[in-house]
Amino acid sequence: MRAFAFAWRSLARQPARTVLALLGIAAVGALLFDMLLLSRGLVVSFSELLEETGFDVRVTATDSMPVTGPMILDAAAAARALEGLPEVEQASPLRVARAEARVEGGEPIELTLMGLGSNSRDLWTVVAGAPLPSETGWVVINDRLARELAVAPGDTLSLWDAGAPGSVATPAIDLRVAGIAEFAFDTRLERTAAVRLSDLSAVCALERAVAADVLLVASAAGSGPEQTVEAIRRLRPDLHAFSNVQLVNRFRAHDFSYFRQISVVLTTVTLSFAFLLITSLLTVSVNQRFAEVAALRAIGFSRARVVADLFCQSVLLVGGGGLVAIPLGAALAVWLDGILKSMAHIPVNLHFFVFQPRALVLHVALLGLVGMLAALYPIYLAARLPIAATLRNEVVS
Amino acid sequence: MSPTERSSSRGTLLLLLALIATAPARAEQAELPQVLLSRQLMEAEALSVGDVVELSADPSGAGARSFRIAGRYEPLPDPLLLAASRHEARLHLPDFLELTRVASDPSPDEAVSRISLLLADPEDAAAFAEDLGKRMPGLVAVPAGRAEDEHNPFVVLERFHLAISLITVFGSTAFLLALMVMRADERRETVGILRLIGFTRRRVLLEVFVEGLFVAVGGALFGVALAWTLEGAFNRFFQWHYDTPLVFVRVTGSIAWRCIAAAVPLGVLAGVVTSWTLLRRQVLELLRR
Repeated sequence: MRAFAFAWRSLARQPARTVLALLGIAAVGALLFDMLLLSRGLVVSFSELLEETGFDVRVTATDSMPVTGPMILDAAAAARALEGLPEVEQASPLRVARAEARVEGGEPIELTLMGLGSNSRDLWTVVAGAPLPSETGWVVINDRLARELAVAPGDTLSLWDAGAPGSVATPAIDLRVAGIAEFAFDTRLERTAAVRLSDLSAVCALERAVAADVLLVASAAGSGPEQTVEAIRRLRPDLHAFSNVQLVNRFRAHDFSYFRQISVVLTTVTLSFAFLLITSLLTVSVNQRFAEVAALRAIGFSRARVVADLFCQSVLLVGGGGLVAIPLGAALAVWLDGILKSMAHIPVNLHFFVFQPRALVLHVALLGLVGMLAALYPIYLAARLPIAATLRNEVVS
Repeated sequence: MSPTERSSSRGTLLLLLALIATAPARAEQAELPQVLLSRQLMEAEALSVGDVVELSADPSGAGARSFRIAGRYEPLPDPLLLAASRHEARLHLPDFLELTRVASDPSPDEAVSRISLLLADPEDAAAFAEDLGKRMPGLVAVPAGRAEDEHNPFVVLERFHLAISLITVFGSTAFLLALMVMRADERRETVGILRLIGFTRRRVLLEVFVEGLFVAVGGALFGVALAWTLEGAFNRFFQWHYDTPLVFVRVTGSIAWRCIAAAVPLGVLAGVVTSWTLLRRQVLELLRR
């Protein structure tokens, strides 16, 4: 009988303990799988969101993250200059401000107002109505804002600067709703509207109407983002250009590192835990089967064969549990993702747990390694078993 | 930082300012306005107390003013700013207003974005905030204590860690049951002999219970002691990594009690349940006769 079939029969002979061991390995394996999904989930998801916008380079005034640092004061001129580069297809200024909106007779609602250059491609997906026209006088809003203001495409909104306390109120500007859109970085509680940059300047009565928080750049066909970044740095060394990959790497190193660290710690703990438990399980199992192992050796089973049987048992247990762990881990990942996404200020489209083939390969490799290491000690016990003495002890006892 | 946060932090007294130049020589002029710089900023720029720095609210460096570093401070640890470089400066309010004033801004010079209040009775914070909101509709008063709403990042992280612990407890319970099944099976003949010489089922079960209790308490205490020992290592690593005095792991008495309260009954129950499946059998069956 082959080693696998023999190991299978040994496990099947004691279904209760086998099922419990499989359940334990499945739970630990699911946790391991989830931690592997978490280790890169935010980075992958963030990267996908950045790519969705269609711009592959961001330019800022300082090396602060976009929209968190000082503004580019000559944004319009800088955008025109960048568009003159052969590596650049489009450069569009983006400015973000706080504003308030109201429909006639309604209560004012505070919102995030984005102002984009007139030639810019959209940073959102229109779900109702039309895209934002290139001319002024129009606004695109997100679904939450549309519901709270009870407006639909074609309706008119009054917008004005939300301003810091103490600032002088600016007159309201009337804009027509072109469409309802889904914004990539919207949080669950976010109310967002997008207008052309000149409308934003009018709404917020900006002194520096040409300033922008960031310049969004799309590379020309045939030019990679890294080439574009280099070209921008040569043209405007006073500005800071980042490709999406560079931006993601900065997030990975700082802003997202907490979850990566947590996942590394929990992965290590989970693997150690799995190793200890599987080793205990197999060792107790071998201890109980000393007489059986000695009898098998006595009737002609070689030492290598006994070792192979035990190894196959470990493979069957870890393999079976690891297999169940994948769908179980996927279900748990949805649950855990839901918990973490209930955090304020987390974009709806951002995920903490993201499936990647790499995670699956690592999961299989790590569990396999743990299974092998866990089998070493019980295998050592079985391989060094003195046959005659064990059989004699069995008879005497 | 989201646009919302950015807006809310705009104009606060603690402003990240562009450090545009530093003078290596010590300032002789006592009349220079003073500034405090964060430890992180002073280390990053190799500055010392007494150095003169130029600060500007404009990235181009326009309108820069000289300040003398009066001291350095450790920024208040904030988990929400965990990954941020705490390059910060603290100025006297008049200096700050002077530095950030926009010529065309008609806002009064004494305009601030936030006023911190220290109440005589901190327990009154919620009622005070509500009362102030009613009396002065233009102001938003918020108690500074920890927000307990379900979207608070710390409340969410607590839920996340609880979920992880539940999965771990489920996995370890399954393993524990498997081990107990094996152990019960191993003692099958011993239990058969005990029954044969007159021990009642109840007596054997009581013995298993007491034994399980000792093992479970020992295991739980070992687990708590291990967590307690590793606490320092975890904290030191994360404090070094994030350059913060924040405490990341703290094994409190309450947490230790909760662990023991969950682990001990679970361990005892696993032993009793698996033994009971054995004790239900006939004595001869236990002795394989």
